[in-house]
This record gives sequence, structure tokens and C-alpha cells, in this order.
Amino acid sequence: MKLKVEHLSKNFETKEVLKDIHFTFEEGKIYGLLGRNGSGKTTFFNCLNKDIPFESGTFTLIEDESRPLELSDIGYVLSTPNVPEFLTAREFLKFFLDINQNQLKEEKSIDEYFEFMHIELEDRDKLLKDYSYGMKNKMQMLVNMIANPNVLLLDEPLTSLDVVVAEEMKQVLRSIKKNHIIIFSTHIMELALSLCDEIVLLNHGTLTKIDRSHLTDQELKDKILEALTEA
Amino acid sequence: MLDTFVHSFQVKNAYRVNTFIYALKQIPLLGKVFKDALYSNYALKVLGTIVSIIIELLTIFLGKFLYVLIMVFTLLNIFKSDHATTFVHILFFLTWIGAFMNTYMFNPTKDKYYAMFTLRMDAKQYTLSNYYYMMLKVIIGFLPFTCIFGLLSKVPIWICMMIPFFIASSKILINVYFLKKYQKRGIITDENHPVKGIWILVFVFLFMAYGLPYFGIVLPLSISVILMLVIIIASLFHISYLQNFSAYREIYKLILTNDNMNTASYKTSQVSKDNVLKRIDIDTNITSKKHGYAYFNDLFVKRHSNLLLKSAKKISFVILGIIFVMALILYFVPEFSIKVNQVLMVMLPYFVFIMYCINRGQEVAQAMFMNCDHSMLTYGFYREPKVILNLFKERLKSVILINLLPAFVLAMGLVLLLVISGGTTQWVDYPILLFSILAMSIFFSVHHLVLYYLLQPYNANSETKSGTYGIANGLTYLFCYYMLRVRIPIFTFGCLTIIFSILYCLISLFLVYRYAPKTFHIKN
Repeated sequence: MKLKVEHLSKNFETKEVLKDIHFTFEEGKIYGLLGRNGSGKTTFFNCLNKDIPFESGTFTLIEDESRPLELSDIGYVLSTPNVPEFLTAREFLKFFLDINQNQLKEEKSIDEYFEFMHIELEDRDKLLKDYSYGMKNKMQMLVNMIANPNVLLLDEPLTSLDVVVAEEMKQVLRSIKKNHIIIFSTHIMELALSLCDEIVLLNHGTLTKIDRSHLTDQELKDKILEALTEA
Repeated sequence: MLDTFVHSFQVKNAYRVNTFIYALKQIPLLGKVFKDALYSNYALKVLGTIVSIIIELLTIFLGKFLYVLIMVFTLLNIFKSDHATTFVHILFFLTWIGAFMNTYMFNPTKDKYYAMFTLRMDAKQYTLSNYYYMMLKVIIGFLPFTCIFGLLSKVPIWICMMIPFFIASSKILINVYFLKKYQKRGIITDENHPVKGIWILVFVFLFMAYGLPYFGIVLPLSISVILMLVIIIASLFHISYLQNFSAYREIYKLILTNDNMNTASYKTSQVSKDNVLKRIDIDTNITSKKHGYAYFNDLFVKRHSNLLLKSAKKISFVILGIIFVMALILYFVPEFSIKVNQVLMVMLPYFVFIMYCINRGQEVAQAMFMNCDHSMLTYGFYREPKVILNLFKERLKSVILINLLPAFVLAMGLVLLLVISGGTTQWVDYPILLFSILAMSIFFSVHHLVLYYLLQPYNANSETKSGTYGIANGLTYLFCYYMLRVRIPIFTFGCLTIIFSILYCLISLFLVYRYAPKTFHIKN
């Protein structure tokens, strides 16, 4: 499975944020999307998720056949976790499973999902309103994963998580990457280097893959910094 | 101090101008033509500055003109006592209410937050310079109107001219009292959240202002003048306290970080969000046996019963109480019946406004966004047309049912009052009255929900970003307000209301089914 982005352009008034982007993402890899503040990483995700209108661009999912990318193909995990605070974690999952029961590829019980995401027994029937930031983040990621979307967009999801939860999340992402295209945006270079299979830079409105073969981590860091600081 | 004042005034002017430009950008269709570059457009900045000056002048004069006219001058004829004495009497006591409730110094505003915390201006210089400016505005703003309306009430000109100084002086004294209260006991005053004692004082002063003259008791003019002079002299001695007080920053740190204050638009939206969030019922024993969309909606309604069900029940009880009292009056005072009957026969349009006021639709839509859609709309599955439309159906059923409870009580009550007050010659008026009230209730329930789904006005920070939504709500209010003046017989207006409501509901539901999947998303 591949995700092909073609001719993607997005302007904010006169500012060209994304300039005729062409890129192909492949299944089984975690892509680390790096870029400076305001470079357009979230805008790129918002375009893929059709949250905002864009000037031009097509997104094609290539499996046995090619077809346009649909909303149901995407799971989008935001940097700020958003969960319905009037529900308990169990109720939220029940609602999600109820309305998606025909589309889910594997049938697991609610508790099995909680265990997969390391959500403790005593937290499962608590209102999401009372969840910590990290716990809300886990719930958000879980709901996005259950639907088993082909493409998973993660917008700085591990920022502000404690080391234990961040490590759990990394393990979860590694465990599911086989059948997914995962695009992971972050500011933290070390995180990108340790978790991601490919490093992609969004700089001056274009996407560039960094060839990391034969490079030590330090050389790779220098190369990324050099590319991002170019005028 | 002058420099600080000039800087703070420039800051206030800058955001007033930017607010003006922002408002221009919110105008439907026209707003899209305006670009962000407008914020640096010199001509527009000048125009914005002119608007800002007009607003400043309005704040100096308009409110005070209306205050003296409505609260004092027009009411003089109610009282039998001499106009001049009553004019000064009412102003004397009302001034104390203003002194406690409108201190300026203890009002947590965004100007203060920006100036003292964001821009780190000297708190004492900022507070005092702006406070003196406010007192100057009080004196200049009141002077023409105490003179004009005072002279019209035969108050000697020198007393008319003294009143604005008395108003400013009373404010200074009360401010000094609040500052001393903080200094001695550490008790902070927040103007937006008066304590119980202040409310009691307000009612006492209100009674003294209007109640005493009603019973023919008025402060003699000479006493009023002496008291005002004492206050003015006392305030002069207390200005030095304001000057020497050194804990202004400390006070504002407490007031401006209070989670109920309006510091900036983001905070305002955060406050509304927090207020709505607080309404979630934390009882996790509340469950639902339903399934899917109905399950989700059922839990939303049950966990917001304070906002939805209990509020509708409270309104129903109040209506029931009013109807009961009215029925008793009609029973014991039969001569009242003819008048009530005449009013009921032509005042059905009046109930459009009543139904608008008691409908919880707009508040429910806000809660739906803040506590539910704000987070859920970030999930792709929730934005799929089938999910949007299925949930819309569930919500519509709930909102209509919740609002029908008070509507039914009101409709039955009106029918009852019509019967008791002498009835009508056309029996068909009864069902028409009943069904038209119910139709109005359904209309408003549908209207608010449809507006929400078609114009979803909130952004990710829960700020309203749709000018069209504001205009639509404003027009709804104006229409309902206009109906207060309309007098049409029950049969005609009732039939028109029922037909209009049915047509409106059908058309708007069609629009939701056609467009909501495209329009129902978080505004950028």
C-alpha cells in the first residue's frame, strides 16, 4: 500500500505554505515529519484530513488498485488530545464500536482494547473529564487505531507525555506499523531519529526525504539542521 | 505617570482599532474580500481610531445621559414630593449603588491584564492614572445632564454642578474602603462577583432611592447638600491613601488570575467552556440502555440534566405558578376577566418572544459544542455524513421533547385562562392556541439546532468565528422582539404560526440533510 500526494498546494492569502508537493509514503514505515515552527506540518495534515480547503492536490491510495484517499482511511491524532469529557472511557469506546461494528476488521472486547493501550482497570470507568493529559492522549490514539485506518497521522502526539507513557506509545506505534502508513510530526529530532524509519523535511513548502544511509546519528542531525536553516 | 497613561491609552486604542478591523472581516461575504494586510492599512487604522474616539465619547456621555434620564428624571412624576428635592434624593442614593457596583478599580478587564501583566507596566502608575481619568470622565460626563435635567426639575444650578463631584467622591471613598479591607483583612473585592452583603446594600439603597419617596419621605434638599459636601471633602482627604497604597499589582494579580474573569478573548472562551464543563453531571451511575447514536445522545442529555431537563422543569414550574396566580386573581376579581380576555384574544404574537426566551436551544447548542462536538469533530469517523445526520436526528428529538414540557404547560395554562376569563365565541380558538404555542416551541428548537449545524460557528478555541451566525441570531431576536408590538386575533395568528412552523421545519431539515455534512466542522 502506498499513499501518493500530487500537486498539493495551499496558500494562506499571499503566503504559499505548501508548494506543489509530490511525495509517496509507503506501508510499514513510520515517517518522521520535521520542520520549523510555521513550516506547514499541521497544515499538511489538515489538507490530508480534508479539514481545510486547498488550492490544488490529489491524494491517492494505491493498493491492488488505485483510489482516492477517503476520510475513513485516515486516523488523525492531534497534539492536544480531544475526548468527549461527559463520557467514561468505556462508554466512549462502546459508542465507537457500536457505530463502526460493520467496518471493524478484528473483533476484540472493550477490555482487550484497554489492555492493548495500557489503560488500567480502575481508570476504565472514570469520566474522561477526570483523565490526565497523557491518559486522554492514549484514549485519542486508541480510538484512532481501533478503526484500523490505512494512514495514521500523528501531530506531535508525544509532546508533554511523561517518559513512561511516551515509551508505551512508541511501542504501540512500532507494533502497528506493519500494515499502516504512519506519518509522525515532531519538533524533537531525537524522537524522530529513534522512532522513525524515514525522515522527511517540510521546508519552504516542499517535502524532502533525507537519505540516512551510511550516516551516524550526529551526521544525520547536522544534515537535518543544515537543511532546515538554509535560507 | 502621564507616560504610563498615554501608553496604556495607545494600547487600548490599538486593540479597539484591531477589533474594528476584525469585525469588518467577520461580515459575511464581504469579510472574505478583506485580507490580513488590512491590519497594517493606514487609512483603516485612522478610521478605526475615529471609531475608537466615538466609542470613548459615547462611554463618557451616552450612558450617563440615559442613566439620569431614565433612572431619575422620567420617574419624578410618580412621586408626589417636590421634583427638585426628589431629583437630588434619588441621585444621592443611586450614587451609592454605583459606588459599590461600579468601582472601575476592582473591575477585572482585559485592558488591565494586557497592561500590567502582558506589557508589564507599572501597576500603581497604570491604575492611578487610569483611575483619575475615569473620575474625570464621571465628572465631565455627568455635568451636562445633571445640569439639564436638574434645571428642568428646578434644582439650583450650583447643586446641579456639585452632583458630579459628589458621584466621583463617593466612588473614591468606596474604593479606599475596599483597599483598606484588603490591606487589613486580606479580603479582595471583585466587582463582577459582589458578595451577599453588597447585594443587600444595593437593595437597601434602591429602597431608599425609590421606596422612601413613594411613601412621601424625601431627604430635605439642605440635608442632601450637606451630606454631599461632607462626602466631597472626605474624599479629598482620602486621595492621599490612593496615592500611597503600594499593593496594586498584588491586588490585580489576585483579581486578574481569578478564573472567572475576562482577560482576553481566549480566556473568555475558556471561561464559557469551563462554565459549560462544570455542568457535566459527575455521577457515573447514570447509564443508558440504548445503542449507538441514541446511546451517545442519551448519555449527553442525562449528564447535562442540570442544563437541559432540570432547567426545563424549573421553567415549567414558574409558568405553572404564574398561571395559578392569574387564575386565582381571575376567580376573586371577576372585573379583571374582561381585560384579560381581551388581551388573550389578540396577544398571541407576544408569546413568540416568550417562547424565544424560554427555549433552551441556543444554550444547548453551545453545550453540545463545548462538551461534545469540540472534541468529537476532530475524529474523522464523527464527520462522516451518516454520523452527522444520525446524531442530528437524535438531538433534534431530545431538544424538541425537552422544550415541549414548558411549552405544553404554558399552552394549557393559556387555554385555561381563556376559559376562566370568559372564553371565546369560536371553539376552534382553543386548539389553535394550544397547537400554535407547541408549534412555536418546535420552531425554536429546530431553528437553533439547524443554525448550529448549518453555520457551526465555533473554532478550536471555542470562540465564535461566524459573523453569519451572530447576524442570524440577532435577526431572530429582533423578529421576536418586534412581535411584542403585534396584535392579531388568535385564530389568524395561530394558523399562520402553525403553517409557518411546519414549512420552516421541513425546509430547514432538508437544508441540514443536504448541507450539514459539508458545513458541520470546526471553524478555522
